[in-house]
Amino acid sequence: MRIAFDDGTLLLEDAPENVPYADWDDRVDEYRARAHHYRALREWATSADGQATLDEAAPTVDSVEDTARAYSDLDLTPAVAIEPRDYQQAALAAWTDHDRRGSVVLPTGSGKTFLAVQAIANAGVSALVVVPTIDLMNQWHATLTNAFGDQLLDSVGVLGGGNHNVTDITVTTYDSAYRYINEYGDQFGLLVVDEVHHLPAPTYQQIPEMTIAPYRLGLTATYERADGQHEVLEELIGPVVYEENVDELAGEYLSEYETLHLQVDLTPDEREQYDEEYQLYRDYVDSHDFDIWNEQGYAEFLKRTSYDSHGRRALIAKQRAEEIARTAAKKLDTLDNLLKRHYDDRTIIFTANNDFAYDISQEFVVPCITHQTQTDERTAILERFRTGEYSMLVTSQVLDEGIDVPAANVGIILSGSASKRQYAQRLGRILRPTEDREPARLYEIIAEETMERYVSERRRQGVTANADG
Amino acid sequence: MLTADLARSRRRGETVTPLFIDPDDDQYRDTAATLIDLFEDHLGESKGELEERIDQLTISDTDYKVVQGLAKLLTDECEFATVAAADPREIRQQLYEKANESYPVVRQPTLGEDTRQLEVYSAVADRLGISLEACYRGMYADLEDNKRLVRFGDHSSDAHEGAGASQTTTRLTGDSEESYAEDAISVDWLLTRYNLALAQAVLYDATRMRIRVWDHFNTVFSYVKLFGLMHRIYPIDGDGTRVPNTDVADGYEAILDGPASLFSQSRKYGIRMANFLPALPLCNRWEMHAEVLDEEGPTETTLSFELDHTDGLSSHYTARSDFDSDVERTLAQKWDRSTTDWELIHEDDVLDLGAEVMIPDFALEHPDGRRAILEIVGFWTPEYLDEKLAKIRDADLDHLLLAVSERLECSADDFDGASDRVLWFKSGIHVYDVVELAETHALKERHPDQKR
Repeated sequence: MRIAFDDGTLLLEDAPENVPYADWDDRVDEYRARAHHYRALREWATSADGQATLDEAAPTVDSVEDTARAYSDLDLTPAVAIEPRDYQQAALAAWTDHDRRGSVVLPTGSGKTFLAVQAIANAGVSALVVVPTIDLMNQWHATLTNAFGDQLLDSVGVLGGGNHNVTDITVTTYDSAYRYINEYGDQFGLLVVDEVHHLPAPTYQQIPEMTIAPYRLGLTATYERADGQHEVLEELIGPVVYEENVDELAGEYLSEYETLHLQVDLTPDEREQYDEEYQLYRDYVDSHDFDIWNEQGYAEFLKRTSYDSHGRRALIAKQRAEEIARTAAKKLDTLDNLLKRHYDDRTIIFTANNDFAYDISQEFVVPCITHQTQTDERTAILERFRTGEYSMLVTSQVLDEGIDVPAANVGIILSGSASKRQYAQRLGRILRPTEDREPARLYEIIAEETMERYVSERRRQGVTANADG
Repeated sequence: MLTADLARSRRRGETVTPLFIDPDDDQYRDTAATLIDLFEDHLGESKGELEERIDQLTISDTDYKVVQGLAKLLTDECEFATVAAADPREIRQQLYEKANESYPVVRQPTLGEDTRQLEVYSAVADRLGISLEACYRGMYADLEDNKRLVRFGDHSSDAHEGAGASQTTTRLTGDSEESYAEDAISVDWLLTRYNLALAQAVLYDATRMRIRVWDHFNTVFSYVKLFGLMHRIYPIDGDGTRVPNTDVADGYEAILDGPASLFSQSRKYGIRMANFLPALPLCNRWEMHAEVLDEEGPTETTLSFELDHTDGLSSHYTARSDFDSDVERTLAQKWDRSTTDWELIHEDDVLDLGAEVMIPDFALEHPDGRRAILEIVGFWTPEYLDEKLAKIRDADLDHLLLAVSERLECSADDFDGASDRVLWFKSGIHVYDVVELAETHALKERHPDQKR
């Protein structure tokens, strides 16, 4: 029998009739199996040699030629000199005990990435890491480069976000993995899936199905799915091998900081433009019965904009008004003052849109990271910030999770999105008081008498509510 | 092709239909003309400005999906490139380093020693030997928005021609990679492409496609193969009913899907089917039926999507011509002038070899009922030929002859698996060599003079 990888499946040439996991493919007159049965098929085929033939079901395979496996063995030692925490060690042991198959459930912020780094070294084979977003892909790339960069022949590969570079250790997004897995499903012996609870979808499910990787690791903070689909994960990734309760870790890494809210006026021109656009939007909303501040009412408004041309104009008016408030010229004056005061500190400036981040980068000559930044350049900039080579950074990205985000003691939010979660994460991530200094400080600069104020209020309420709960 | 969010289709009951536009509608013709002008005017300008202008066109237009869709198809015909005096990444890294030595870099200096941004830019510009403006503009010249439109269709920007080595070029999307007849971009071209693209977009979620074709088999099946689709093939008659063998077939039905479709419905091959679709309008008569997964609602349902030659679609793919190569044309001419009882017939039987089909170039028929088929192989490698011969042996096609070109460097001497059914030729094929081979290998298939 010959096992070959064929476009995301296994073609079993000259297979005996009792070959398990396979269906007869009349299109090519051979047996074909899903790629994720590779390990089981190999075990079945090789157990035939040594075993007694009493068992009727025993296969009748004389020899197996395996052309499917295209992944390499690697000898890696993580360069990160941090001792794994107890629960990380326990999780790794549980996973290896389960033949390196299965999921680990750990709360957010508990070093899932770090665990994955240990697992990759432990498995000693080429690995594909699949993550939900391009942001996370960039972060994993930075972490894996820190850990293994010097030991790899090529750099850590990136597939997604405009990159197409597949190497022994490669990070990719769910979307790109789904698109290309039929081409690369034979090149990895370990499949790591971050936020694995997203995997049971008809499309994404094909990622584990179309890879031969005998070792699999799922990572998540919330394994259960309301639709019961997490059972699919057992088949494709393996069982839950380790679970750490949320309560046991909560609060461990919170740092203290003080927050200052600064308000700026719009210039007369900006004010005039703002009022004009905002009025257009209000008039439209008021002439219809949307309760725009609740989610349902807003959805109704959005729906109307797709067929009512006045509605569409109103939506654009709202976006323009927001843009004026977000990029108000006096925010830059205020920023100017803050940078004078804190030029000796380690400062991260947040903006909610790319253009504004680039404006600031050009105006104040500050290194800039957005999701347009190429993965390797992003990793290099963060590394220089971490070592102190750069003391300032402007970014439109949420720098969360993972061990790669360097600490700062000053944060400046120039415009934020209304998402409570994002906001809270940003605070928690970046601010660490440096040992010999005053506490970390967060500034929020917002435009006076605009919708932004409302968003800011709402955001703070969200954070408080979280802290109370 | 369109992105999924620009698709426009209507679901009615169990069927789904693209919302085609009427290419004669004045409103769409105006929009298309405006867009084409816009792209032409923006040669040499930045991508961000171009996109801004397109957005402005959609401001009070609820047909913005159509506008954005048309713009997407035009963007597929564009090339954008980074235009800068030095490598932008090098420029900004030097700027960051220089600035870091001199923070705070301020807008309004309060103290004499505060640095102004101008000083940082000039220092780096001098070091790189470029102008101050080139340094400032070059810092982020590689951002998508700042890339320049250097080619639109067959128009190039003047600045781009003869450009230096510091430019890097990104070619957008796969569309332009396929070979197709290079047409000038016009209103008709755009509106026709748009309707085809709407149909392609419905196929993104397709799990399976059934096609029926009555001509251009060679073309259709070479595109099936090109886009990595698998097939089951059935000969059919003029009404589309399956018939037992190819001798009585007027056309072919094929069920198209991919390797993993064997185990369950998979929409993974939808994109391949969408890519394949433009091959069908190359036929004079064709039908297509696709099963499309619909995720809206709590459960997945399968919708059916049908198209045929009456839907007015047209193709931008290249058809394989009747006589594909000079070699074939020359052989046919020579045959006409020769005196042999064997007849050379242009052949369009589809032979199913499992993973692929073979459509031989010619059939050789003798009045006494003997028949052989001939395929001409122009370009090959030893592996390719080995594999081909193995497939032919497996398919029990003993009357299949191959004429293989010796013009390539690796020729008969390097090829071990030589077979007596292979006729090697240098510049052209000799009629009597073929006849000799036919005498040896032909099969008696029909009664003499029975018409097929």
